[in-house]
Amino acid sequence: METINKTLVTIGRSVGGVVGVLYQAGRDTIDMVIRNILPFMAFISVIVGIIKKTGVGDKLAHLIEPAAGSLPGLLLISVFCAIPVLSPLLGPGAVIAQIVGVLLGERIGAGNIQPQYALPALFAINPQVGCDFIPVGLALGEAEPETVEIGVPAVLFSRLVTGPLSVVIAYLASFGLYSS
Amino acid sequence: MSFSALAALVAAEPTVAPPSGFWGVLANWANAFIDTFKIGGENFVGLVTGIIPTLIVLLTAVNALIRWIGPDRIDRVGEMAARPGLQYYPIRYLVLPVLSVFILTNPMAYTMGRFLPERYKPAFYDSAVSYVHPITGIFPHANGGELFVYLGIAAGIQTLGLPLGDLALRYLLVGMVVIFIRGVLTEFITARMMARRTASDAANAEAVA
Repeated sequence: METINKTLVTIGRSVGGVVGVLYQAGRDTIDMVIRNILPFMAFISVIVGIIKKTGVGDKLAHLIEPAAGSLPGLLLISVFCAIPVLSPLLGPGAVIAQIVGVLLGERIGAGNIQPQYALPALFAINPQVGCDFIPVGLALGEAEPETVEIGVPAVLFSRLVTGPLSVVIAYLASFGLYSS
Repeated sequence: MSFSALAALVAAEPTVAPPSGFWGVLANWANAFIDTFKIGGENFVGLVTGIIPTLIVLLTAVNALIRWIGPDRIDRVGEMAARPGLQYYPIRYLVLPVLSVFILTNPMAYTMGRFLPERYKPAFYDSAVSYVHPITGIFPHANGGELFVYLGIAAGIQTLGLPLGDLALRYLLVGMVVIFIRGVLTEFITARMMARRTASDAANAEAVA
């Protein structure tokens, strides 16, 4: 009788634990969707509406299209995004990268840019990732002020090299992607 | 007015003329204004019905998994990554950033830098922050607020009717190669700058003396 009781309690506890964790995970998820994902979708939709109706998007896209459809062009974009003065300005919330991503996606969908350029493009529009956040990120890692002073320029200069390099690596890795 | 005259009047104006003149311009402008948001709204519905349902289920599963693993399990990896020596480079700039971004997500992932000595911290941050987008192709929970870097471009691939898995996987793997190179290079630059700083401090002290 004792052992049966014990087993029942153990089973009940573990099932309750599993359900509780799943339920909490669901709560976290809905929280994230409402707080981060839906607002950004609303924002992107407003931009898409304006861009499509006014034709600004076509002009912008025509501007980046020749660049995004070839390796030298993508390298140029990545160097531009990695310039140490510009990269912290382009960084916040990855908003610029996300808008350019949506614009390029539309061009790829329209057939103006070949799909195998999707992979290098993902890296070309993103060498500035986190460049606006270096002091905060380092502070989260409990870095000393002296480390922050050196860390900010160190990361920014490193991006100038690794930005274009990432595009080259992605380009080499895109062989055989969406092409026969 | 006779009935036939009335009928003629009705027949003469069977359709509404398009608005013209000053009010016409305003009316056209109003149409364009509303259209802008209609297009935006259609886009929004497309995103919500196309992306959100799968995303919610996936996020719930991964969030539950992370809760079962327990975020403090990776502390040990952090301690291991702090060791000097060539063989710990891949742990410091590959295993640790990938694990912390996956389990702690953006921006809490950067707190793992606390296990490392000061000279590795900028490089670890560079490495971790560079992974918050490549990971979203397969694990969107890591950076829910910045999904559209990948999703924007992926939408174009989807429009063409091509499968996304190949792109997402390659993005994830190339991302790993890139963050490793970034970590190593930034560590090198940081070391050089710190050495120069110490050298100039020593020179200053000498000049003062």
